[in-house]
Amino acid sequence: MKDDYLWDGSGEPDPEVQKLETVLGRYRHNPPAPAFDQVAEIRNVKQRRNFLNWDWEYQLGAVAAVCVLAVTVFFVMRQRSTRNLGPSWDVARLEGAPRVGWHSLGEKSGPGKLSVGQTLVTDSASRASITLDETGRVEVDPGSRLRLVTNGPGRKRLSLERGTIHAVIWAPPGQFVVDTPSAIAVDLGCVYTLHVDDSGAGLLRTTMGWVGFKLNGHESFIPAGAICQTRPKIGPGTPYFESASESFRNALSRFDFEPHTPAERNALLGILLVDARKDDALTLWHLLSRVSDADRPGVYDRLASLAPPPAGVTRDGILCLDRQMLDNWWSSFGYGEIWLWRTYESDWSQPSRNTK
Amino acid sequence: MERQAVTDWPAAESREEDSLVSAARDGDRVAFGRLYDRYARMVHGILLARVPPREVDDLVQEVFLLALRRLHGLRDVSCFGAWLGTITRNRANDYFRKAIPNEKVTEPVDENHAESRAANSAAEQEAAMVLSVVRGLPDAYREPLILRLVEGMTGPEIAARTGLTHGSVRVNLYRGMQLLREKLAGTARGASWA
Repeated sequence: MKDDYLWDGSGEPDPEVQKLETVLGRYRHNPPAPAFDQVAEIRNVKQRRNFLNWDWEYQLGAVAAVCVLAVTVFFVMRQRSTRNLGPSWDVARLEGAPRVGWHSLGEKSGPGKLSVGQTLVTDSASRASITLDETGRVEVDPGSRLRLVTNGPGRKRLSLERGTIHAVIWAPPGQFVVDTPSAIAVDLGCVYTLHVDDSGAGLLRTTMGWVGFKLNGHESFIPAGAICQTRPKIGPGTPYFESASESFRNALSRFDFEPHTPAERNALLGILLVDARKDDALTLWHLLSRVSDADRPGVYDRLASLAPPPAGVTRDGILCLDRQMLDNWWSSFGYGEIWLWRTYESDWSQPSRNTK
Repeated sequence: MERQAVTDWPAAESREEDSLVSAARDGDRVAFGRLYDRYARMVHGILLARVPPREVDDLVQEVFLLALRRLHGLRDVSCFGAWLGTITRNRANDYFRKAIPNEKVTEPVDENHAESRAANSAAEQEAAMVLSVVRGLPDAYREPLILRLVEGMTGPEIAARTGLTHGSVRVNLYRGMQLLREKLAGTARGASWA
């Protein structure tokens, strides 16, 4: 296929891609690697020499200037908030008159800026988008409140207090996070929609890539085509594919969020195991760490029948919730590399102080 | 539903690379040189997507020297590629903050046209024109396209090096290529590309 050629150079060559490769190939990187020992050393020596060769008056002046600057910075920073202020997000009005702080964006006003600490508010008739070149674009639906919490290099954090956002993120995985009242959504390279209602309950639907959801020790991974609900004080529920049967979805919602007796719980788990299809391995994998020790063998057996565990993943290991084995099994599904999550989640685990 | 083909990149290579990053972090400059060999094209491509071509080679060196100095702070060696990519993008942003007025920070295309005018031969002009069109595409598309078409990296390699998912890279490559075709078709009406 021609698409395969664009992807990895295999398959039937696409003449247009080949021509572009030829034409643009002249820009390809080809200088040999520098000797880093020498380059670093030369730079250090140059810097030292430059300073040491100055007259002593200039040296003294430079030192004094640095001291004055350091003291000034110290006092200025002490006066300011400790938040890491980065570049502002560009706000564009899509419909109506969205507000940033007290500033309303009307038809005739130009685009606005969203800075750290500011909140973008859309009423029932307005929509807006916010964009940051290095990170991505977020469309904000009517009836939403979205606050910019932090905006440092490699760390963009928003707080969706209510409403709906549609995020298209091109920043590297783990750099873009959205707090909600009931979970933290960590982008792992994707396109997704996040909704929060007035009670603080949330719903995340992933269109491309995958998203990690976390709160109170509950982790949920939501790949493309899947949904995950959250509830205040409970955190993220178990993710499931939109194509799952209605009975499966109903049972899962009751299992995750409604109080029930042990007998009712067994009945709900029974429905989930019986109704599970191959795609529902996603849900069963999450259930492994959410059911009791007594229920886990049943979940393992059903999951193993739908998606056999890879080499090195044993029944005993899974029943003991061996994290490495659980991670390896997850990785075998092909939804996304779990090391991304293990790398970044620790940075984002705690909700921001400003989050409700 | 999108499924990611996570097994395309050899696990052995990932493990070897982690060892190289660990060694480089501990001061092994030879290991760092080998990381340069592996990642120079990625860094070059990310820069080429953002800054004028004549500046890219110098900036590649600067990025690696910056990485060399900061490497001790990298906690997870398996994130080296994503970490280096972030350093590179930040350095490209710094270049524009220092080099041109603020209002042109996100408009490198004008510089491309200048590059295009300065090119001597027809082939150089054609290459500069095509590069200019690629660089006029949205951020999400121009980076993977340049890594694929200029640097000759495969999709799985781009995903492995940048730390992005296969799905993201694949979608951006195809959509970017589609957009590039449309732009080039439009350009062809007034230029030599066809």
